[in-house]
Amino acid sequence: MALTEQQRSNLHAEIMQTLSREQEPVGITKLELRAAVDALDDFLETNASAINTAIPQPARSSLTVSQKARLLAYVTLRRFG
Amino acid sequence: MASGDTLLSFGPLSNQPPASGYATLDTRNSIPVLDFDAASIESAVFSGSMPENYSDATGITIEIDWTASSATSGNVIWGIGLERGVGQDIDSDGFASNVTAAGAANGTSGIQTTTSIALTKGAQMDSVVAGDRFRLRLQRIANDGGDTMTGDAELLAIRIIET
Repeated sequence: MALTEQQRSNLHAEIMQTLSREQEPVGITKLELRAAVDALDDFLETNASAINTAIPQPARSSLTVSQKARLLAYVTLRRFG
Repeated sequence: MASGDTLLSFGPLSNQPPASGYATLDTRNSIPVLDFDAASIESAVFSGSMPENYSDATGITIEIDWTASSATSGNVIWGIGLERGVGQDIDSDGFASNVTAAGAANGTSGIQTTTSIALTKGAQMDSVVAGDRFRLRLQRIANDGGDTMTGDAELLAIRIIET
């Protein structure tokens, strides 16, 4: 299930606080950042099944949903973060 | 006092934060700043006495020096409200309605923008005149549609100038 409106709003605020704390230059507006949050959540909603299928067995069946989500986050951050 | 002369100035360390929704004290390169959130309205409050040489001819102009924590574009909506101390029960707030202005972030995060807000004498200043104790409340109106800047706005200084 996609994030709720409140969860997206909280995530948006949290991302802005993190960017501010780390003083990373950001050249987009609040609304543009929020649109990116919404789009990525929508993408994950649409593609969650495909991402899950990409995880080989036995990891796919043995890991919890939360563990697989963290696995995705770790790999994504290592590649692009 | 002549138009354009500075009457008072305040820095982040002069803040008397409200009980909730307050701007957060921080440092940047060891310079004190007050962080105003991008997602919720936050406030800072400064108190002083209006100098005796304030003429009350036209009013005052508040100059807000600020930078973005991270943004290199977008606008911040600042709001200023004054509260005259004379006759005010200090157990409650009595700030006049906000007067607002937009300020644009510099293209380099860390270079200050100065945003000016003019208050006309009388109601906009909560009738503060020379010699009056007063409080000044600065808010980032983060829920305003015109407040588009991503991330915190960092207050460096605030000045009260004779208009």
